[in-house]
Amino acid sequence: MLWERFRHLLGETFLNFRRGGWGVIASIGAIAIAFLVTGIFLLLTLNLSTVVARWAEDFQVVVFLDDTITKKQRTLVQKRLDGEMAVRDVTYLSKKEALADFRRKIRGQESLLEGLKTNPLPASFQLRIREQYQTADVLGHLAASLKRMEGIEDVLYGQEWVERLTSLIEVMKILGIVIGGVLGVASLFIVANTIRMAVYARAQEIEIMRLVGATRAYIQIPLILEGTLQGGLGAALALGLLYALFRGTLWQLGTTASMIFAGTELTQFLEAEYRMAMVGLGALLGGVGSLVAVRRFLKV
Amino acid sequence: MIQMFHVSKTYPKDVVALSDITLHIQKGEFVFLCGPSGAGKTTLLRLIFRDELPTDGQILVNGRNVVRLRESKLPALRRSIGVIFQDFKLLMDRTVYDNLHLVTRVLGIPETISRRKIGRLLKEVGLLQKADQIPYSLSGGEQQRVAIARALVSDPAILLADEPTGNLDPDLALDVMRLLAEVNIRGTTVVVATHNPKLVAEMGHHTLILKQGRLVEEIP
Ligand SMILES: Nc1ncnc2c1ncn2[C@@H]1O[C@H](COP(=O)(O)OP(=O)(O)OP(=O)(O)O)[C@@H](O)[C@H]1O
Ligand SMILES: [Mg+2]
Repeated sequence: MLWERFRHLLGETFLNFRRGGWGVIASIGAIAIAFLVTGIFLLLTLNLSTVVARWAEDFQVVVFLDDTITKKQRTLVQKRLDGEMAVRDVTYLSKKEALADFRRKIRGQESLLEGLKTNPLPASFQLRIREQYQTADVLGHLAASLKRMEGIEDVLYGQEWVERLTSLIEVMKILGIVIGGVLGVASLFIVANTIRMAVYARAQEIEIMRLVGATRAYIQIPLILEGTLQGGLGAALALGLLYALFRGTLWQLGTTASMIFAGTELTQFLEAEYRMAMVGLGALLGGVGSLVAVRRFLKV
Repeated sequence: MIQMFHVSKTYPKDVVALSDITLHIQKGEFVFLCGPSGAGKTTLLRLIFRDELPTDGQILVNGRNVVRLRESKLPALRRSIGVIFQDFKLLMDRTVYDNLHLVTRVLGIPETISRRKIGRLLKEVGLLQKADQIPYSLSGGEQQRVAIARALVSDPAILLADEPTGNLDPDLALDVMRLLAEVNIRGTTVVVATHNPKLVAEMGHHTLILKQGRLVEEIP
């Protein structure tokens, strides 16, 4: 009996799906677009956050040294840095180490370095900054005063960038939520409309079922399941497209990407939880859309 | 089995279909509901299976107050009443078999029993050979019999037939009436709405005559 019901439900759902034609395709497409756009924002924000977090952590201030710096000058710089309140620790990176480090980061593209006769990378001091000093303001002053010292070629500090990127990420997050929300609501209406069309197309059949004593649930559940299925399929389709887009972009960027983001986790797609959440959310959206339609357009 | 007390029905725009109807149909009776076109026959039948609610009055069907019936009890009421609709209400794009199958599915009848039951009903109305045809390709009389078979799927306690001989020639009409009489003999209460007085005279049953929404005569 229960199995019979279940089979009826499944059969009915798929039958409606086939009968739905373009409406069904429009529904799935709308949900797919909504989730694709939202997914792009999600992917960008997540990956940028990872990159920025990494930069912020181990790339705070770098003091590049002149190739011509003397031992004495270097000791002076070292002393100065050790005495600096904002600096938590200092690591010296020689020219040789810098090259080795770079070589490691671009693994796979070592050919880029072929033909280099001299080592173009400068020696440097890598500074870690104490938490309470990690503002663009403090680091700006520190950089300016360091730059005036003998033997220092340049001072790079990522803080400003980190802050800019962080606010960019914030903006993108909000934008993603707003755009995703708008598209989500729009696709909800499209699903509702498709289900409304399904109700109209089956008006006669529904009328007969009603008159021979079908319960409300018996009539409504296949329709709601249909919307749920459309939503889930739409979101799954969006995931597929997003993945293709992601792979395509990485491939396009090629070497550049692997150099910029070497060692970070940008090359990661959405994690399983996110993927499942997206499909689940799509199904929910479709279900709610069809519930709205069924409530409004189905009399008992 | 079916009782109405001072029942009136007014459709929107003040169309009065029924006014102050009081009647009593016993269990197991075979009743004719007569009257000219527009007299309110279909409306009266629709009140019985609560396709419409009366504007006034009370209706008891099988001990249940139809007017105050909760929505959750509606399917049970409708399952106890078989209806042959004036316009048949067959799905023209499904086979005869599937038209009946729709009902057995709604009723949750297991497939094996459903198959046997539909076979038996189609045989009873003489349409077993046409089970796989669509109603569209059948004659009016055959469609009528499909509608009858479908109304009987739920083994209803009450059978309401709205103009079941509507556009049939006299011989076929008599066949249909015989079929309904057989159903009645097996214990089902049957109400037949018709504007064909000749038919009624020939059968000689309890008859209710409607005119312009009023019950003008009752022949016991
Ligand atoms: N759904 C409706 N909305 C508005 N008016 C209706 C509706 N159904 C019936 N009527 C009106 O109610 C009156 C009675 O109609 P009903 O269909 O009950 O008559 P009937 O006796 O079945 O007629 P017929 O023999 O032609 O089938 C008619 O005036 C009709 O126009
Ligand atoms: Mg009528």
